[in-house]
Amino acid sequence: MTLPLDPSLWSAVRLVLHVAFFLAVFFLLKELVGLRDLARLRNLPKPKGRFRVAFVLLTLLFGGLLIYQATWQLTGVYRPEFISFMQLHDRRGFNPAHRIQRGRILDRKGEALAYTRERNGQVERIYPDGPIFAPVVGYTQPRFGATGMEAVASVHLNGGEPTSLDDWGELGRQIVAGDKRPKGKDLVLTLDAELQRLAIERLGDNRGAVVLLSPQDGAVRVLASQPAYDPNHIDSALFLKRGPSAPLLNRATQGLYPPGSTFKIAVAAMAIEQGFQGTLDCPAEGFTTSSAYRRIRDHEYYSARQHGEVWRGYGRIGLAKAFSKSSNVFFAQLGAGYGHDTFYAMTDRMLLNRNITLHETPYGRFSLRTGELARIADSDKYGLAQLSIGQGRILVTPAYMALLAASVANQGIAVRPRLIDAASSAPLGRFMSAATARQLASMMRSVVTEGTARGINDPRLAISGKTGTAENPQGDPHSWFVGFAPAERPQLAVAVLVEQGGYGSAVAAPIARDLLIRAQEMGLIR
Amino acid sequence: MSVKGKAPSRPTTLSEAWALRWPERHLLTICALAISLGFMMVLGSGYAEGQPFKVMDLAPFAIYGACLAVMHITLVAARFHGDQILLSSLAFLAGFGLLAQYRMGTLDLSDPTSASLYLFPGSIALMLAVCLALMRGRYERLKDGLWIWAGLSLLLVAALLALGQRYRGGVYGAGLITPTEFLKVTVVLFLASFVDRNAKPLANWGKGFPRPPLKALLPLGVFWAGLTALLLLQRDLGMFVILSVTLLVMLLVGTQRLGYMVLGGLAATAAGYLMLSLFSHGQRRIQAWLMPFEDPTGNSWQILQGLTGMYSGGLWGEGFGEGNPEYTPIAQSDFIYSVIGEELGFVGCTLIVIFFLIFFSRGLGIADQTRSNFGRLVCIGLTTVLATQTFLNLGGVTKFIPLTGITLPFISHGGSSLVTSFISLGLLLAISEGPAKTQGAGTRKKTATRPESGDTKQKRPASKKKPTAKAKAE
Repeated sequence: MTLPLDPSLWSAVRLVLHVAFFLAVFFLLKELVGLRDLARLRNLPKPKGRFRVAFVLLTLLFGGLLIYQATWQLTGVYRPEFISFMQLHDRRGFNPAHRIQRGRILDRKGEALAYTRERNGQVERIYPDGPIFAPVVGYTQPRFGATGMEAVASVHLNGGEPTSLDDWGELGRQIVAGDKRPKGKDLVLTLDAELQRLAIERLGDNRGAVVLLSPQDGAVRVLASQPAYDPNHIDSALFLKRGPSAPLLNRATQGLYPPGSTFKIAVAAMAIEQGFQGTLDCPAEGFTTSSAYRRIRDHEYYSARQHGEVWRGYGRIGLAKAFSKSSNVFFAQLGAGYGHDTFYAMTDRMLLNRNITLHETPYGRFSLRTGELARIADSDKYGLAQLSIGQGRILVTPAYMALLAASVANQGIAVRPRLIDAASSAPLGRFMSAATARQLASMMRSVVTEGTARGINDPRLAISGKTGTAENPQGDPHSWFVGFAPAERPQLAVAVLVEQGGYGSAVAAPIARDLLIRAQEMGLIR
Repeated sequence: MSVKGKAPSRPTTLSEAWALRWPERHLLTICALAISLGFMMVLGSGYAEGQPFKVMDLAPFAIYGACLAVMHITLVAARFHGDQILLSSLAFLAGFGLLAQYRMGTLDLSDPTSASLYLFPGSIALMLAVCLALMRGRYERLKDGLWIWAGLSLLLVAALLALGQRYRGGVYGAGLITPTEFLKVTVVLFLASFVDRNAKPLANWGKGFPRPPLKALLPLGVFWAGLTALLLLQRDLGMFVILSVTLLVMLLVGTQRLGYMVLGGLAATAAGYLMLSLFSHGQRRIQAWLMPFEDPTGNSWQILQGLTGMYSGGLWGEGFGEGNPEYTPIAQSDFIYSVIGEELGFVGCTLIVIFFLIFFSRGLGIADQTRSNFGRLVCIGLTTVLATQTFLNLGGVTKFIPLTGITLPFISHGGSSLVTSFISLGLLLAISEGPAKTQGAGTRKKTATRPESGDTKQKRPASKKKPTAKAKAE
């Protein structure tokens, strides 16, 4: 014997029964409370209320339990790990976690860098640009968790971070209505998708990183790292790849490289602050602190020798000329002359050996390392001379070098880099005085007009900067360019690093120029 | 104002008792209505999935209805004049438990000899038997059995140790019977007798610097050490916690000495550390509680599956019989609360908690109104046991506290637990009736002539007629 029960009819009946059941229980409760007086125990002595406190404590205990339960049952979206667990392991088809309409991640112009699509009753995350934005956007995947902004802003993307009254209303509506497809919120980044794509394109097959940011408000426009991984296809093999080509390493914010000559920006700032006015003799035979060590020479010496010629040295030159020619001999003497304390005071003020947070939530943080600088012994003069030309026991990240250039462009003040469009900008600290920054800026302009970077001097845009060719134990030198544009009222700061790219002027500088000129065409520089 | 027509607080005739117990009748009727709606939900969802209709499908509800009717009629026939709210809130919880068990498929209806089918009526019968046997103040005689209760308690644990089966780090009884469940009654009776008999010396903390009366505490300490050792031998941490909390509360209530709570707090801290270092499965549970996502598919699997079910249920739930509680391991016993969360939502859970709170408030209320020291201690003890058990279960399932593996009174699947809870209820009901008539006569007259209760009396005759008519119509 079967009961004729149409499944479509049943869903309506079920709803009615559900509501009726609750109403009946509520009615029972009401009657229980209403009849409390009538059903009083009149055969016993009058109540004295001896255990009232105990009952209040009991109620508080169970009330606390219910509130805690609600943080899982009703506002589970606040718990990204819980959502991931459910998406991966829960077989209940009606679980809303399978259909959370996670917010998109957008670039500054609203182009989607990540979005959610529903297929076969399960949501999946799509990254239309594959690896290009992976260093910033990261991935979210139930089995392997999440990284990047997908992890840091997970709660926001899932809709569990109400900021306005409307958001609260929406969250409440979703809970009360028992929404089976909860909607998250979009996240707008400061990145410019077009510029980032150009950066990756120009890096080509090289490993390297490009960072482009606004000196005044810290908005990061490009944060590219090559090679990267495709967040659409995460598998366990990805996590096993280590070594120099590790795709998971964000070279822009975590990759440590010797800065080479680009670090002369910092050393020059130190000298200006110290009131350096004079000249130093820079002979062809170079400089060393002790005959036991190899002499530090200028690039011209080596290139002349390569061509079978003899170079006679710069002779006595001042800071500006030494900077634009990137004289190692000059800066080695300069740094060694001021001593360790002055040097480390400068690097400390410029926040080396730190982590700078770009965005932080209880579920993670997106941060950049500034660099790694060892404290060398005061007796190690040669080591200090090496540090002063950005070699030896100093390593920095490309993002930090962009921040250093930005501080010069912003009258000495470094602004905290930010990736979230809605976040407000905050100063990070003063790297140098405004006067120093001005003088340094004009020196950096000369590098492009008449110094090592004159190859990228372009009539369309006045670029300032500093090249770097950093010796490293892995092989060919790393190619650096660090700078900003336009020279007079800087609006973008840039750092380009190409691993084993060779001369900074030949490889990194043109990439920086192309990016800055494209940014100008797009209106990011006016 | 006339007292005529109004049920006296101590009925002597059947009609007086029938009138007195109108609120109970009324509440039980609504209870049956609500539970019947729940049954329809469960049955309907089964039919919607294509299950054939069988007459036996209606058996659980028929059993439930019959139990309520028999319970009410028996109490009226016995001229019982004890608590009615307690019974009504319990009737809902127990009905809900029956519903949940039926929904989980643990009520085997195909086999008429199956024990689970008779468990519920049996428990109700036992509760009535306990209540009737001990009412009219007869419960006072229980306190003479002081050392019987102590011996029985130790025997129960020892029996389980000797006969039980070891499984996953704990000792479990064979089949439906877990003898240690009965400790929840015997230990309370022992403690009540002991504290009642030694209230004075136990309350004497000396002059000057307060120190516990070690001499008076000695027999209790010896018993407790034996009990603890036996319980820990079988790794029954949950039971140990329940009984220890009860011990402290009963000492506090019996002696009015806060010092016992301080001592207890210190002992609990020490015991907690000791136990964590001794028991590996305790450590695993703490780990699963603090860091559930460290080992989501191992240690924390059960708790996370339970929470997943609750999240899926949301505020209103998926509907009784519509969820997938089979994905949560042992959902029918320890994790029944997460099934409620999944199928009836946060609202359903809140309602269950409210009914439990009403139940506890009545337990405390009866204790408050009981003049007999022993009766009050038993009331407080039984209420503490049930409240602690409920809190440990709900807290464990919602990850509020570490999991202890304790059943939810009246609702979880578990024969001995259910029977014990009903015996406790029978005791509470018996105590709520107050002392024997001869002793209480003076009190009754005093309360009956109390002028301030007049306003409630005025209401009663009006509200009384309707229900009697209704009851007759039935």
